[in-house]
Amino acid sequence: MSGNDAGDENGDGRQKSDEDLSARLKRLENRIEAKRPATPYRSAPGAGAPKGASSLGLAMRLSTEFIAGVLAGGILGWLCDQFLGTKPWGLIVLLMLGFATGVYNVMRVSGSLSRPAVKSAVEKHQDRERS
Amino acid sequence: MAVKMDPIHQFELKPLVSFGHIGNQEIAFTQSALYMFAAVGIIALITIVATAQRSVVPGRMQSVAEVFYEFIGSTLRQSAGHGSERFMPLIFSLFMFVLVLNMFGMIPYAFAVTSHIIVTFALALLVITTVIVYGFMAHGTKFLKVFVPSGVPGWLMPMIVAIEIVSFVSRPISLAVRLFANVLAGHIALKIFAGFVPALLAAGAWGAISPLPLALSVAVTALEFLVAGLQAYVFATLASIYLSDALHPGH
Repeated sequence: MSGNDAGDENGDGRQKSDEDLSARLKRLENRIEAKRPATPYRSAPGAGAPKGASSLGLAMRLSTEFIAGVLAGGILGWLCDQFLGTKPWGLIVLLMLGFATGVYNVMRVSGSLSRPAVKSAVEKHQDRERS
Repeated sequence: MAVKMDPIHQFELKPLVSFGHIGNQEIAFTQSALYMFAAVGIIALITIVATAQRSVVPGRMQSVAEVFYEFIGSTLRQSAGHGSERFMPLIFSLFMFVLVLNMFGMIPYAFAVTSHIIVTFALALLVITTVIVYGFMAHGTKFLKVFVPSGVPGWLMPMIVAIEIVSFVSRPISLAVRLFANVLAGHIALKIFAGFVPALLAAGAWGAISPLPLALSVAVTALEFLVAGLQAYVFATLASIYLSDALHPGH
């Protein structure tokens, strides 16, 4: 490729070819960058797994999301009772709130809640799985 | 039925080097710690030693390291958006650590470190602590907008804020419980199905159906390999989604 300019001993010409080369490198870089996000990463685990795997992952996520909500409510309620002496109301109220949180989490993960940040993250996740 | 079946036995911690006691609790270097050191060693081997040459055309080990790196890089970019590059070391280390430990657990007679909730909970706490510390460092009190979703009617606000706070507390729990429960349940199921084979063989004529649980345990093993990879991936993805809250609160 650089054979055209190889014989050019003139300093000005060399500078020109350097500029040309850097411009070409930049163009190539831009083209690679433009292609990059479209490339699916098939060779890695998870992404390369069959479609059933991602729904299994989603199912696992949904169930633990719900359980974690109830657990978090229970733990917060218990701590509240321990340190604020509100026995037994902290546990009762926060356990119910935890239940609501569990449902809320599940709705958020399954994408039936139109909260932009979370929804787009879920959609991206699903898009990647589909591609 | 002379065959002893104890599916929990495999999760017992065995102290290798004891450092003495604090109260009634023995402080020791257990096989769990040994496996963690081995995992770090293998990761270092893959990522540092194999890429030491930095050849333009990668060799076998270097391309393995590059595949993992590119994969986690794209996951992080997609779920945490711009500015997330600074968390790449954290997410990559977490992913590799969990993946290698899960895969170690799949080696017969090996110990599955991630089947202990204290290990996974410590990893989850690390993520959440990073979210909180970085969130307050970068945004100050504006970070509290995480708890106030936009576009909610005023009368519903106190309820939603309370739910968001409980939801935030539930995040490390769900991260930890998911990984631990998957690994624990998988290993117990594997042990039980495999245990049916000798039990049936020992029961005389029932031995005729012993290939059934054998086939099932082969299938469960395959599923467990899938779960091992998938859970490491899910852990990394969720960690980067939570980190995106620290980067861009108030969405």
